[in-house]
Amino acid sequence: MRRLLFSSVAIAALAFGPAAHANTMIELQRFFGACDADYGKVTDVSAAVGECGIITALINKFEADNPGIDVNVTTVEWPGYDQLNAQLASGAAPDVVSMHYSAISDYQTRGLIEPIDPVLAAQGILPDSFTDAARNGVTKEEQMFGLPFDNWTMLFHVNLNLMKQAGLVNADGTPILPTSVEELVTQGKQFKEKTGKPYLVQILANETATYARILYTLLQQQNADFFADPLKITLNTPEAKTAVETMKRIKDEGLTTVGLDYPAAVSAFANGDGGIAVNGTWLIGDYVAQSEKSGTALSGGYTVYPVPQLFPGRDSTYSDGHSWVMPRKDRSPEQVEAIGKLFKFLAENDFQWARTGHLPAVKAVFDMEQFKSLPHRSNIAEIAQTGQSLPAAVQRQFAIQDIIGEEVGAAVNGDKSVEEALGSAESRINDLLANL
Amino acid sequence: MAESYRRSHWKNGLFVLPYLSVFVVLLVFPLAWGVWLSLHKVDLFGPGRFVGLNNYVRVLADPVFLQALRNSVVFVAFSVPTLVVLGLFLALALNRTTRATSFFRGLFFSSSVLSVTIVTLIWRFVFIPGDGLMAVLFEQVGLPPIGFLSTSGWSLFSVGVATVWWCLGLPMMLFLAALQQIPSDLYEAAALDNASPLRVLTRITLPSIARTIMLVAIIQIVMQFQLFGQAQLMTNGGPNGTSRPLVMYIYEVGFVRWDVGKAAAASEILFLIILCAAMAQYVIATRKPEASE
Repeated sequence: MRRLLFSSVAIAALAFGPAAHANTMIELQRFFGACDADYGKVTDVSAAVGECGIITALINKFEADNPGIDVNVTTVEWPGYDQLNAQLASGAAPDVVSMHYSAISDYQTRGLIEPIDPVLAAQGILPDSFTDAARNGVTKEEQMFGLPFDNWTMLFHVNLNLMKQAGLVNADGTPILPTSVEELVTQGKQFKEKTGKPYLVQILANETATYARILYTLLQQQNADFFADPLKITLNTPEAKTAVETMKRIKDEGLTTVGLDYPAAVSAFANGDGGIAVNGTWLIGDYVAQSEKSGTALSGGYTVYPVPQLFPGRDSTYSDGHSWVMPRKDRSPEQVEAIGKLFKFLAENDFQWARTGHLPAVKAVFDMEQFKSLPHRSNIAEIAQTGQSLPAAVQRQFAIQDIIGEEVGAAVNGDKSVEEALGSAESRINDLLANL
Repeated sequence: MAESYRRSHWKNGLFVLPYLSVFVVLLVFPLAWGVWLSLHKVDLFGPGRFVGLNNYVRVLADPVFLQALRNSVVFVAFSVPTLVVLGLFLALALNRTTRATSFFRGLFFSSSVLSVTIVTLIWRFVFIPGDGLMAVLFEQVGLPPIGFLSTSGWSLFSVGVATVWWCLGLPMMLFLAALQQIPSDLYEAAALDNASPLRVLTRITLPSIARTIMLVAIIQIVMQFQLFGQAQLMTNGGPNGTSRPLVMYIYEVGFVRWDVGKAAAASEILFLIILCAAMAQYVIATRKPEASE
């Protein structure tokens, strides 16, 4: 009996022995979509395409390179902040979370995320290794509250095949893009007349972000300082009226797709249903991949440019960025070290992430030959100078974006007058900011 | 004997203690906490400050809340009668004991077991412009396409269609259960009197299940005032807030804008509306049937 007991204990010790050396677990929560069916086992990051594919392959590679660390990934629907809020409120926050630069202020002012300077310092990552735009996006009160990962903005994704058909291509093969609102309307009409298709493919349904980003861009191009006070927006201005009237005119003249939500707009452009998709940097990699396949609407005929300067004020476009933040919680030193290693890995592989189309957050990537040879990057390089975010002190930027999107959408679609929509947006946003 | 009864009396309460504990923890406490939150300026992450009835004043002065309230009332006013009439029609049609009716009962109830995500995904395939089923049908018959999910009026209608399809199973089953309780001799007597099918329906069937019809209507009123997932996933409340229901307003204010006190105040108003419907259900359910002549 005693022998049996000792044998059992010995077997149990052997069986559970490795538990004493259990892997360090990092709970990582992110958006960017789920694609485990295609990339769940992929560790060759260079073989991955698109945001989801590349981030999934990056995490797989990190785990393969660091056998003592497990990364448990939870994918949330974009942008995922409602879920994060519930997790923070219930004390069940993950270790690392993807977060837009524009959302960091909300969490930093409430002490919900931790400064990561010590984590970066322990791994030898220097703050000045990041671009100014990226570093400014995550820096609050002289501390970095997230690992900058990229900068992104809205772009003009161009179907050159249709633009050729419309006679809107220069002799050197580059597209003829507008330099003013009048040119945009003229070229849009010409495109529609020659191809029978709308000039722009826009996300005008079930979506608020695009309306807000385009409004911010058109306001910036008119030098409008609509957030002079971070607690008060000013939208009852001639500049805002001009911007929304421009957006409405594009729709009223039939120069854009209507009724498309985000996924429908992405596939509509890929199917050749319009000339220029107004969408983000993150789609460059996917559209390039489609243009390299034969038999698609984009075959051999895709390029991309920043949103053109339509107003004489200045060349500017609204930009934001993605980062990785650490919610405030108790962690073991091993976990903090593992997160540091993950951050170092992500920073060192920022080029791979830049293949999505996003602008790199790490300065050195801009000098890499591999990056310079990526398609169309020289077309959009100017965004590093022209990209502009909202003032960092503006809180609830996602809620503000929802209100602007809803009201501007109502004006564009004719449910409200432009003045009524701008007045309503201004009062709703100022009520929100007055009750933080 | 009387002494023994008195001594054992309080112990009888132990039988309801498990239920009472769950009731207090999951219903009474959250309700009281919600009232407390509605009187404070508070976010999700820490203590707030007492502001009295200010949150209620802000909610009632908010045009977005009033629009969401109107949307919810319109949605209930159209979806509930549709659910009652369609549920009753299906129950009448399937109140037979054949293999085909059993199959169709299962078929019509099957949509009820799907999650809201699947339901909205299916109906997005129907309503989405371009490649959606309705768009293709409209194109085939040469009609101009309608932006079902992006046009004022149509967006709430589309959410209503998906909701009726999803929720139809329960009313149908409740009506079937009620129909099977009607004594068959009533129908035999009607047949002997050579009563027409319409007369049988209006004089026997409907009066016999009148209380079930009220019950189904009130259950559906309570359920449809809580509309959320379908509207969020199909239309995101748009365009211009024309398909935003009350629960979505509460969600946005609480979780997106972090204004939990205001969201709690709106919740209490919704609670009062649903309480009125529940009270009506209670009154009707406990009303004694009229004495037969």
